[in-house]
Amino acid sequence: MNGIRRQPKLRTIFTYLAALLINLIITLPLYLMRDRLNISTIALVYLLPVLLCTIYGGLIPGLIAGLSAFLLFNYFFIVPYYSLWVHKPEDITVLIIFILVAFFISQLVGRVQKNLTLATTREQQTTRLYEYSLALSRAGNISEVANVIASHTREAFLAPYVAVNVVLSGKDNYHAHVPAEKMPPTNKPVIVMPLQTSRAFLGEVHIWRENTRLDVSEERMLQTIISQGALALERITLAEIETRSRVLEESDRMKSALLSSVSHELRTPLSTIKAAVTSILSGEVEWGSEAAQDLLAAVDEEADQLNRLVGNLLDMSRIEAGALKPEINWNELSEIVESALHRMRRILDGFKVTVDLPDDLPLIPVDFMQIERVFINLLSNSAKFASPGSEIQVKAWIEDEQTVVVQVTNQGPSIPESDLDRIFDKFYRITNAARITGTGLGLSICKGIIEAHGGKIWAENLPGRFAFNFSLPLTRKEKRQVAVKSET
Amino acid sequence: MTNAQPHILVIDDEPQILRALRTILGAKHFHVSTASRGEEGLAMAAANPPDLIILDLGLPDIDGFTVCSRLREWTHIPIIVLSVREDEHDKVRALDEGADDYLVKPFGIEELLARIRVALRHSAQSQGSPEAVIIAGDLKIDLTSHVVTRAGEEVKLTATEFKLLAYLVQNAGRVLTHQSILSRVWGVEYIDNVEYLRVFMSQLRKKLEDDPRHPQHLIGEPGIGYRFTMGE
Repeated sequence: MNGIRRQPKLRTIFTYLAALLINLIITLPLYLMRDRLNISTIALVYLLPVLLCTIYGGLIPGLIAGLSAFLLFNYFFIVPYYSLWVHKPEDITVLIIFILVAFFISQLVGRVQKNLTLATTREQQTTRLYEYSLALSRAGNISEVANVIASHTREAFLAPYVAVNVVLSGKDNYHAHVPAEKMPPTNKPVIVMPLQTSRAFLGEVHIWRENTRLDVSEERMLQTIISQGALALERITLAEIETRSRVLEESDRMKSALLSSVSHELRTPLSTIKAAVTSILSGEVEWGSEAAQDLLAAVDEEADQLNRLVGNLLDMSRIEAGALKPEINWNELSEIVESALHRMRRILDGFKVTVDLPDDLPLIPVDFMQIERVFINLLSNSAKFASPGSEIQVKAWIEDEQTVVVQVTNQGPSIPESDLDRIFDKFYRITNAARITGTGLGLSICKGIIEAHGGKIWAENLPGRFAFNFSLPLTRKEKRQVAVKSET
Repeated sequence: MTNAQPHILVIDDEPQILRALRTILGAKHFHVSTASRGEEGLAMAAANPPDLIILDLGLPDIDGFTVCSRLREWTHIPIIVLSVREDEHDKVRALDEGADDYLVKPFGIEELLARIRVALRHSAQSQGSPEAVIIAGDLKIDLTSHVVTRAGEEVKLTATEFKLLAYLVQNAGRVLTHQSILSRVWGVEYIDNVEYLRVFMSQLRKKLEDDPRHPQHLIGEPGIGYRFTMGE
């Protein structure tokens, strides 16, 4: 760093010497032609180096050139020669005018020069600030903004190291430093500036550099960089807050939709139960009669329906909260299917249910309860949309060494291709048919469960049938299946 | 079990459940007493030991697990635990704490009565000398000579298969957790290898069940364990 700082000094000394040298060089031909030249001409010629030195060297070299020209002029060209004495009054006048003109020229040109440099610096600063604000507006998140602040501060102040710490209340802190590959210096930063807006303190900028003092323009520049940076940070945080509140609003809207749909769903079986039980209690239906048995069977079925609904709600809230963690164990698919069919036996009564699972199907690493819930939801969906008496089929096959695919098909109506993905969305219902009840949760729960198992779920229209498919990995991530040698 | 009405103690904090069980079990000629708190239940069990305890896991003062383990400090009275379906861990824990069986809320009363019958029968058996030959449907299992016959024909079982079957049969009607079966049949170090159990269970079912996909004796309890039922 010392080299860089010594260089301007050397240059100044060099320009001073150059100013002297030019005058000496000019003096030589003038001296040789001294007798043929008018004293005013010589004075005019001496103004040239003053002008040149001021233009190229600035005010001080100009003044040095003026002063040295005055001394040389006096020494060599004013009688008596080779002394600084002046005898003739007109020579005194020439000398005085010369010194005044030289002084004003150097003043004037020097000021123009200085203004020009200032204007150039300003322009550079403006360009830099423009680029900075452009970069800030492009930054899409807090850490990007922090990086932009750090790199631009470093450029603007030729600082070897700049670090930016962003402290946001109730959120993670962000840290950016340039150069990114270097660790921060161990000594304290030279300049520490707070990133602050009228609303809040957002962090600090730390600058390490040799020169501890900031001049006025640097000070102004830093202020601008910092305040713009702080504003950009604030913009990002506000935008994030807005996004969050929009998400919350959306989920709130969903919850209201869920609540209204659920209250309806809860009330339907409750009405049946209430009606059946009150009619038996009232004595209108004879206890033990066939009618009473029917009513009681309805109560039983509706209670099961309520229980399934509550199970779905619980699952949904777990999926929403990201708390659906499958309890992975090695299970037999056939056992899960049978268990689901057993639970759904009353709803599936009247359908032709066939199960076609390969005998050599290996154990699959799944959460029994959750996959059973998937089957229950797919079966209940099939029973809802297909007409009674039609066939519901459960099939499975090994896709490759890693995957098993399960298919549940029904003879229900096909669904427009464009809707095939959307049926797994929450509350999505293809038809608005009033006879079809449901919360619109079942399929989205299936999706949540299958995805938590690392599988995929999709629907497809087959000729004359509608199919739900899901794939499940055959290998367990954390633990490989232990080969069990069977004894003979 | 005496010839008098079996005495059942129900510990549950929901008055509606207590009321329903008192009515239903009373109608089935059980003598029913009820407690709505854990401590109260423990005191009642100690003062007048029942033949069977029905215990809800969620109690306001001390939880059902504690009640279970404190009962097991002094008695082998069969305990049937009531819980909600979603908590497999709770069920396993209750069974490990000494409960004999569990029932998922909401449950059908037929199911509860069946579990009560099994638990009472099992407790009566364990008080006498253990039976050496067990007959379940067309299965005949001789625990001393290690001979198993199905409809009169001998079924060849491997040593491990027999060990597994014997453990289940000796605890017929009770739910045995995966862990307890694994540690008993294979050893404590195999406690996490549920897949061993699945493979052997499926072999056993193929050899012993008429329809291995719809087992009548070797019943799986998803996420929890297995039970052997005698069949009707």
